[in-house]
Amino acid sequence: MHKIVCVTACPTGIAHTYMAAESLDKAGKSLGVHMIVETNGAIGVENKLKEVDIKSSVGVIIASDISIDKTRFKDKIIIETTTSEAIKDSKKLINQLLDQVKG
Amino acid sequence: MEILKIIKKEYMNLDLQAQTKNQVIDELATLLDQAGAVIDLDKLIKDIKIRESLSTTGIGFKIAIPHAKSKYIKEPTIAFGKSKEGIDYDSMDGRDAKLFFLICMPEDGGNMHLKALAKLSRNLIHESFRNALENANTKEEVLEVLKDIDKEDQYA
Repeated sequence: MHKIVCVTACPTGIAHTYMAAESLDKAGKSLGVHMIVETNGAIGVENKLKEVDIKSSVGVIIASDISIDKTRFKDKIIIETTTSEAIKDSKKLINQLLDQVKG
Repeated sequence: MEILKIIKKEYMNLDLQAQTKNQVIDELATLLDQAGAVIDLDKLIKDIKIRESLSTTGIGFKIAIPHAKSKYIKEPTIAFGKSKEGIDYDSMDGRDAKLFFLICMPEDGGNMHLKALAKLSRNLIHESFRNALENANTKEEVLEVLKDIDKEDQYA
């Protein structure tokens, strides 16, 4: 099973961060992809991505409305988007990433 | 039942009269004010509209979640409203919104409340949860739907 690591974040960190995370999780389940989603919300960072997971992932989805430090994703294929796009259609983002991996 | 400490019957209106996005925010914030939860209504509304101006909180699926961290709310509160007609809320999917959660957090809102909000947000992604809310016709029924939020994966 493919593994994708994700980060979600938004300005207030009380709603969109978690909706985007849930949406990515849900889409992963239906596409048979193992999603690991780190949330950067008002609570702080939850489910912080482990280096080993980043390393073994096929790529990264960053669904954020604020800037996210990408140095830990060096050499990874990254899809960068907004929380809105993730809430609207996470399946599309996952497929987009998998297409790039294949390509 | 953390969520039931921040969303109460007095904070609900199942028949909103608002016709526009600004009116929804005004109507729901006024509800919180009438229930004694607000320090300064005009300033609270201004904070909510500032957040709204960054990007719409009309998330699609007929739901909007205007929200703000504000000095002008006494404690974490959520107002809930339903519009029978639906309101053009500049939603991401272009459809009118019918269910509204106005989420107000004081600047130093506690972690427990934030976790309850995170769970509410996550639940909104699931169709079964949204349908249950839409089909709830009384304030009691809305509370029944919401109180299951704390159960893990209820709607997953």
